[in-house]
Amino acid sequence: MSEKVFALLVRLYPAAFRQRYEEEVLRLYRERLRDERGLFPRLRLTWDLTVDAVMGVSRAWRDSLSETTTTSVVSNVSGFPSFHLLTREPLKPGTVALGCVLSAVALAAFGVVMRLPAPDRFSNSRGVLSPVEAVLERLNRVVAAPTNSGTGGQDDVTKVSGELARSQVKKEPSSQPEAGAQAPLTAQQRDEVVRGVAENISAHYFDRQKAQKLADSLRVLNGQGSYAKIVNEHLLAERLTTDVRSATGDRHLNVVYSARGNPIAALAPPSAAEFERYRSMLVRENCSIERTEILPGNIGYLKLNRFPDLDVCGTMLHKSMSQIDKANTVIFDLRDNEGGFPAAVADMAAPLFNRTVAWYNPRAAQSATTLMPAARSALSNKPVYILTSSRTLSAAEQFTYNLKMLKRATVVGETTGGGGHTGTYYRVDEHFGIGIPETKITNPYGGPDWDGVGVEPDVKVKAADALEAAKKMAARQTGR
Amino acid sequence: MPKRKLDPLPAAAFQILLSIADEELHGYAIMRQVEQQTNGRMRLGPGTLYNSIQGLLEEGLIEEMDRKSEVESEMERRRYYRLTSTGRKLARAEAERLADLLRVARAKKILRGDYV
Repeated sequence: MSEKVFALLVRLYPAAFRQRYEEEVLRLYRERLRDERGLFPRLRLTWDLTVDAVMGVSRAWRDSLSETTTTSVVSNVSGFPSFHLLTREPLKPGTVALGCVLSAVALAAFGVVMRLPAPDRFSNSRGVLSPVEAVLERLNRVVAAPTNSGTGGQDDVTKVSGELARSQVKKEPSSQPEAGAQAPLTAQQRDEVVRGVAENISAHYFDRQKAQKLADSLRVLNGQGSYAKIVNEHLLAERLTTDVRSATGDRHLNVVYSARGNPIAALAPPSAAEFERYRSMLVRENCSIERTEILPGNIGYLKLNRFPDLDVCGTMLHKSMSQIDKANTVIFDLRDNEGGFPAAVADMAAPLFNRTVAWYNPRAAQSATTLMPAARSALSNKPVYILTSSRTLSAAEQFTYNLKMLKRATVVGETTGGGGHTGTYYRVDEHFGIGIPETKITNPYGGPDWDGVGVEPDVKVKAADALEAAKKMAARQTGR
Repeated sequence: MPKRKLDPLPAAAFQILLSIADEELHGYAIMRQVEQQTNGRMRLGPGTLYNSIQGLLEEGLIEEMDRKSEVESEMERRRYYRLTSTGRKLARAEAERLADLLRVARAKKILRGDYV
């Protein structure tokens, strides 16, 4: 064994050991080398030194470490813990280099893992697809990687089964960062989107004159380069939405972008099996009726998390309402209600009236409808409170807005989300779409509806405090 | 005081104690002495040797002293090691323990040949 090799082996020992004995160790080596001559002794020496290095190094390290564990605990000085160095092993550059390499490898591996595509399949937590989802999944031929489109507030507006709600596409638990999946918009792409939006508006918007003017002004704006700086698809959709709304004064127009893509063909109605699955899911979720109870002070409380299909849930809804019909006051908790069927909205509101009233339904074919009261309802003259949050949307907003306009209920909570989805959805391209009202919707209450701005509460409190506030108001009102 | 597992006394440590029982020796000389004592069976490498020496020093069984080398040509300081009184007592106790064992072995007629 050459001296160089032996010196390397010696370097493996802890610094403290080397400090004391390195000189003697080397001297021992040299003296043995001097005295053990000949092939066999030399071979034996090499073997001895190798074995000794292995055993010696591990023992030396073990011994140096066992020193630290038996060192007496340094007493605290006036209650503060003190720190002492137990060993003075110097930080070798080799160790630092190894640490840097390992960290870089770990970070690179993390980056690789994050770029792997997330699964295409999406479903609610129960694993059952609603008919809407099943149809969308079937027709979805998206090539681009899926992204988390929930942050931009863009909805996939689909008019399937008349449901006035966000589709379940939004709730897909994808963890991919958006930036990684979309390339910046080119000028050509922008032009095509603007052209597609303009064409759809002039073809479908109910006010022909306004539509033509709007389409022209969009082309002019694009020609002037107003959209030239926008490279992000969501921002382009938002900007176009703002422009078309301000040009027409109609907040029911809505340009949307979905990274997951639009269904290519027209949507087929859900199959019987799909509808059966949807129906059993609704039943299992208690038709989105989270709670029905009578609170102290004879306050009827109903927390409803959507306005479900009446065919499936009509009976359950009526049962809940009858559970609270002896109450002196009613609180509808819509803080987690993101929409549903207008028919269910009307059905839930009917027991609150004893005469026919004008009823605003932005999805109805006719311009205005009326609401017939439910026969002999005990609640028709009781005070009503509606709890709202910023998540309250669509059909839930319709319920809130109408009752507020009719002065039938007091709205307590936060301004609602402002999602009307009142127009018909038209596909502009694979990712862009536009909701266009095809008929003029007249509002019997006058004034704008909640599209884009939400419903303002009568009593503005944080959503979490809304229930307590309503209970207090109810108590005061009934004089308790 | 950190214990380096010198109870029971490891073979190498005992050999080292024996080797310096009647004279002070430096590292290499200890190694050669032990080799001789064990008839070539135990050849201490530098790692084992100095680990053991470190342990014995810590337990106060041996002590070191600097001395100029005996050989005229080597004008350098070397570390020499010798037994402390504690070390001597321990070596004696260990030797007596082994002697007792030997007595039992003899009585049981396990040993071959002539042993005193």
